[in-house]
Amino acid sequence: MDSHWLSLFDVTIDFSQSHLFFPRIVTTLLGILLVMILVTRYRRIVPALRHAGRVVGGREGNFDRKRFFGTLVLVTLYFYLMGVLSDVFPNTGYSFLIMSVLFVFSLSLLYAERLSRRILLIITLNALIAPAIAWYVLAQLFRITLP
Amino acid sequence: MDILSHLTPMFFTLIAAGTLIGIIFGAIPGMTATMAVAVCLPLTYAFGLVNGIALLLGLYVGGISGGMVPAVLLNIPGTPSSITTTFDGYPMAQRGEGERALKTGIVASIFGGLFSAAVLFFFAPVLADFAIKFSYVEKFLIILLALTVIASLCSNMLMGIFSGVLGVWLSLIGTYSITEGGNGEPRLMFDFMQYYLIDGFSLLPVLIGIFGLSTILLDAENGFADAPGQGRIKLKGGARFSFSIFKGQLVNLIRSSGIGTFVGMLPGVGGSAASVLAYSQEKNFSRDSSQMGKGAPQGIVASESSNNALTGGALVPLLSLGIPGDSTTAILIGAFTLQGIQVGPLFIGNNMDTWYLMIIALVAANVLMFGIMYFAIRHIAKVIEVPKYILYPLIVMMCVVGAYAINYGIMFDVWTLLIFGVFGYVAQKIGLEVVPLIIGFILGKSAEVYFVKSIESYGNLTIFFTKSPIAAFLWVLIAVSVAFAIYLRVRNRRRGASSLVE
Repeated sequence: MDSHWLSLFDVTIDFSQSHLFFPRIVTTLLGILLVMILVTRYRRIVPALRHAGRVVGGREGNFDRKRFFGTLVLVTLYFYLMGVLSDVFPNTGYSFLIMSVLFVFSLSLLYAERLSRRILLIITLNALIAPAIAWYVLAQLFRITLP
Repeated sequence: MDILSHLTPMFFTLIAAGTLIGIIFGAIPGMTATMAVAVCLPLTYAFGLVNGIALLLGLYVGGISGGMVPAVLLNIPGTPSSITTTFDGYPMAQRGEGERALKTGIVASIFGGLFSAAVLFFFAPVLADFAIKFSYVEKFLIILLALTVIASLCSNMLMGIFSGVLGVWLSLIGTYSITEGGNGEPRLMFDFMQYYLIDGFSLLPVLIGIFGLSTILLDAENGFADAPGQGRIKLKGGARFSFSIFKGQLVNLIRSSGIGTFVGMLPGVGGSAASVLAYSQEKNFSRDSSQMGKGAPQGIVASESSNNALTGGALVPLLSLGIPGDSTTAILIGAFTLQGIQVGPLFIGNNMDTWYLMIIALVAANVLMFGIMYFAIRHIAKVIEVPKYILYPLIVMMCVVGAYAINYGIMFDVWTLLIFGVFGYVAQKIGLEVVPLIIGFILGKSAEVYFVKSIESYGNLTIFFTKSPIAAFLWVLIAVSVAFAIYLRVRNRRRGASSLVE
């Protein structure tokens, strides 16, 4: 008798489909929460998006487009070219070394507020020395895999 | 003794190096202990388990401690957890008592650190012993409890829960691992993604992306215009430091350290919560709080002892349950896995030597932190003037090494870094909570295994309530944490309403 209503909660999981069981629950939960968020704050979403668009477009606020998108572009290039170059010099870390020197130099140039001869010298030396040390210590001394 | 053979000069050198690097990271505003651990991860691949742990714990303790330097000197918290140090530290620095304020903070820090190490030492094994008896059902409920606690303490509960569930969802991408008893089928992705995502996203590139790269993107957006370090810093001139400051501060020290340790144990509750709580308790309970906020050493004592007490506290759930207490321990869990350690209830019992060495490393890191900071504070104070255009490119570079080397050279892990760097940036912009997301991501896969296996073996959902007294007790705790969150919300709303009336 007692177990009669308990059997309402019986669940069997087919092993061949078991990889979908938990993800389905989580996805459903995520969907419900998303709807709740949208319903409770739909009035604020559209103005917020418009505001964000104006900020990114540079018409409002202090969004530094040059440095923000510059960072994204440089990082993407850095990763992409490092992958390409590592096929040329496999398992040596040379690709990492070469691309890091270029990347550190360009990102420093992008971030520096003003450029004097002294700052340019510091940036150049930093871009040459720091990746070289990192490469030597990691790839040569510690034998860590580098691109 | 086996343990003594590990206590080599190398062991202590690495702790000292880690502590120093950590202090520097902590001292630079915008860079945190989490970032220090993430950036230095590649170094630990080269060391063995013990030396790797020495370096990581040094970084952790140093990173939390270093945050007080810019807090006192520039009125900018170097890490979120030193936010309350600015309240009294900066007024003291303005009076020319910068060194006095910093040394007060350093002494408070070592007290908090050692206090929490002691709690860790005595409490974690007890908790682990208790947790060993857990079956899949209780393990699942513990994860559910952790996520509930995190979400209920977020500033916005709905967003907190959503972030946590999103973290779990992201962790499920990949195959249902055969080694965990799954069927090895992929899910939550399109066919063309299978080549890259067969094992899902690797934990560490995800963490390094969210905590390293997205921080840089957030700063790049501001254009580095408000770069600190130009203001005149007065270290000396006013009253000098002496240990008599701590007369009558013992209650404050113990209370604040206790608060810090306890908050550290709660998963996902950040350091700023600990120091704010300790600071406000000192304000409420001390005999004379009239000077707090105007440069009273007792405020620094409360803030710094509580934020350093986080370290030991956050390691308690990590080492006894396998649940990280904060974002830094989240990275530690990944670093331990790399070294072949599975943290969880069995960890301490099976690795007694490692466990003792960790305690020794934690204590040593605190002592070395004290030594380095106390005697070299004037030199460390200069670090905050290093320009970001030098530092940030190097950080990106080290992030790449960390991501690439984790699985011995997989370029997709580097792309994961970029994906989650941008994701972390967008998430913080639209109000998602990063910490619940990360904890959900870390615990998601285990949650799935525990949940599905429980149902497969019992075939009935009610087992989650009726398995054992512990299961019922965990449900009580879950209910209490939800009720507490609702109570806080209602109270805050009332306060907000009454302040409007006034």
